[in-house]
Amino acid sequence: MRNRVREQRTQREMSQAELAAALGVSRQTVISIESGRYLPSLPLAFTIARFFGLTVDKMFDPDEEAGT
Amino acid sequence: MMAFIRPRLRKPLGIALAGTVFAAAWALRGGHAWQLSVAMEVTVLVGAITTYVRAGEDNDEGALAGSRADERQKMLSLRSRALGWNFAMVAAFIGLTVAAAVKAVWWWPFLVILAVTGFAYLLGLSNYGVAEEGTADDADTGPPVRSPAS
Repeated sequence: MRNRVREQRTQREMSQAELAAALGVSRQTVISIESGRYLPSLPLAFTIARFFGLTVDKMFDPDEEAGT
Repeated sequence: MMAFIRPRLRKPLGIALAGTVFAAAWALRGGHAWQLSVAMEVTVLVGAITTYVRAGEDNDEGALAGSRADERQKMLSLRSRALGWNFAMVAAFIGLTVAAAVKAVWWWPFLVILAVTGFAYLLGLSNYGVAEEGTADDADTGPPVRSPAS
């Protein structure tokens, strides 16, 4: 599943550590989500989408593989 | 009670407490066991201090040691523990089988481990929702009701 976390984060010129602090997760988890190695829970997916002002389906695309 | 203890201190204190109780149990045996007990206590304290230091590191192991794990890190811990229990069950089964084959008298600890892990698995199924599935909302709940239109 592809996601737009890295794209949104870099647009806002945030570091992974800053995003992690804002979401209440670890920096390692942000790295794992961005690389597609970890699919966040539904509550965390909503938190991420809301943080960037997007909907969950705009943030996470189930039809595309991570890294494509 | 745990809420009053700083997250970073929880695991080191747990290790120190459990280890001290175990070392004290050896000291109570009397004889030369007190020497082993002292060695154990030193090892436990080194382990507790090492865990405290690791808890300050910025990685997954540090987050788990410092009781500040997020959902992914908790899942990692859960999967690792599940793998550990699976290995324990397989090892206990092999031990029990070997003990039975050689007519050994030390078969029962393996059976205890198998029984405890098996019971814990069933307890987990019971606690985490298998018993709460209920019936489907489209299940047959009585005689069919004819539509007024028919």
